[in-house]
Amino acid sequence: MYGSASTHDLPTTATTGLENEDPILLAEFEARIARGEKIEPGDWMPALYRKQLTRMIEQHAHSEIIGSLPEGTWITRAPGFRRKMAQMAKVQDEVGHAQLLYSAAETLGKTREQMLIDLINGKSKYSNVFNYPTPTWADSNVISWLIDAGAIVNQLANAKGSYGPYCRALDRICAEEAFHLKYGHDAVVHMATGTPIQRAMMQAALNRWWPAIMTFFGPSDKMSVHTEILMRWKVKMASNDECRNQFLDMYVPKIWEIGLTLPDEKLAKNEETGRWEFTEPDWEDFKRVINGDGPCNAERIAVRRAAEENGAWVRRALLTPKTQYVRPLA
Amino acid sequence: MIQSFDPRMNRLGLPDAPVTAATKTALDQFGTYEVFHQKKDGAPYVYVGPVHAPEADVAFLFAKEQFSRRFACTGMWVVPTAAITVTDYVGDQESAYDFLPLLPKSVAPAPGNADDTAGEAAAYAAGEEDYDIFHLKKRGKAHQHVGKVRASSPAAALQVAKAVFGEQRPVVNVWTTRSADVLRSDEEDRDIWSTTPEKKYRDAISYKVQDRIEKFKAENK
Ligand SMILES: [Fe+2]
Ligand SMILES: [Fe+2]
Ligand SMILES: [Fe+2]
Repeated sequence: MYGSASTHDLPTTATTGLENEDPILLAEFEARIARGEKIEPGDWMPALYRKQLTRMIEQHAHSEIIGSLPEGTWITRAPGFRRKMAQMAKVQDEVGHAQLLYSAAETLGKTREQMLIDLINGKSKYSNVFNYPTPTWADSNVISWLIDAGAIVNQLANAKGSYGPYCRALDRICAEEAFHLKYGHDAVVHMATGTPIQRAMMQAALNRWWPAIMTFFGPSDKMSVHTEILMRWKVKMASNDECRNQFLDMYVPKIWEIGLTLPDEKLAKNEETGRWEFTEPDWEDFKRVINGDGPCNAERIAVRRAAEENGAWVRRALLTPKTQYVRPLA
Repeated sequence: MIQSFDPRMNRLGLPDAPVTAATKTALDQFGTYEVFHQKKDGAPYVYVGPVHAPEADVAFLFAKEQFSRRFACTGMWVVPTAAITVTDYVGDQESAYDFLPLLPKSVAPAPGNADDTAGEAAAYAAGEEDYDIFHLKKRGKAHQHVGKVRASSPAAALQVAKAVFGEQRPVVNVWTTRSADVLRSDEEDRDIWSTTPEKKYRDAISYKVQDRIEKFKAENK
């Protein structure tokens, strides 16, 4: 992701701490956002804004870097040289997205060292879909197309948010996502319109991924805690259900048009309400997996940790004594 | 040991659960550099974002990878974050120059005069230096290079910049840095920017997926 899929742990109004903020500064801050001006790192901001944005951008960064693993695993086995090059380019983009986002989060005061530590010690969340494996090339294609498609829905919404550094990062990211989406769509279509074996492999991958995809935007609005203040501050830009509905609207027809099916008999658009109807995802299972008990949680974290630890001596050797740390500017 | 679908992971022999919590030493991720790029010849340098790096040359390499990999450009600058002086941010309709702390009259410098070569040489001899000036025109957008001034300190450089560029509006925020602190790509190395066009597999337009879909639909009516 990939945006706001883990805002399931938002504060309730009781813990916003807003009563401790200077009312005049708070009013100016809110007026600035209401006028459509962005917030920049040097500005005064409520502690809750800083905290929620840090968490959200950091989780987004983690999702990019962890999200590069299930696809990265297929680089060496991608069918053909061109697809290897393209898969590699996409994975490199995702890691680049993580870099951009870590820096945006850093402008809010949390160091990159601390964010990386929190990720590998399991303290931070990342998009839950990456706790599932990619056993075949077709699974990797499903991520490239549909997970990225979901990510784009989120990212385009968040790019209209109120925090300048996050918006700047998202503008660059969205520009690159255009390629991911086309690349992923092409890969899926290639398999779905290929030999019967290729087609069956794609259908099986889609069946495996569909339940996770339906949870991608987070729990349904009726289960979510109060997010009104984060909407007003333009931290959260669209509700989970709105994003999910938009995604279904855009992509279910594209899945069906290539003769693939989706493993949910209830899935259909209600033409009267304009809303998609579907079997409610298993949110208990979602909770269990996001809290660590999924098929790949341990592997994802272990791989990330090994990469950090194996590179540590190189970074130590490169460090010059005159290095001083200041927060990135914007 | 962790069992993965990826044989390379299995060869790493990763433990199921780590025995100790991971830690990092300070500066494990180095300091940061701010990066500016030029989209095409003659265009102003524009801020693109920070990179973490141990020193300027490495920062340049990382910046090139991060910011010119996908977007064509004709030049790049990197500056240590700590070398940049930042004014307060003001509103989208205001000018940050109106909010600069006032220097005492006697030390307020006059803007450098480009034609006055003798005066210029004297100023440099007296310890003045070139400073690059960047403006942010609108919150949420990116800082842009507007030009250079000559001054004896960052604070003085902002005052000179106010005299030279202060008419421009709005100016939400100003950055200034000693020109000597900017690592700039070399005109002679221009060919390092020309690698992008041949990598067609990275462009959305090189995927002609619609043709295939139409063919499939026609065959499966
Ligand atoms: Fe991404
Ligand atoms: Fe992705
Ligand atoms: Fe992507």
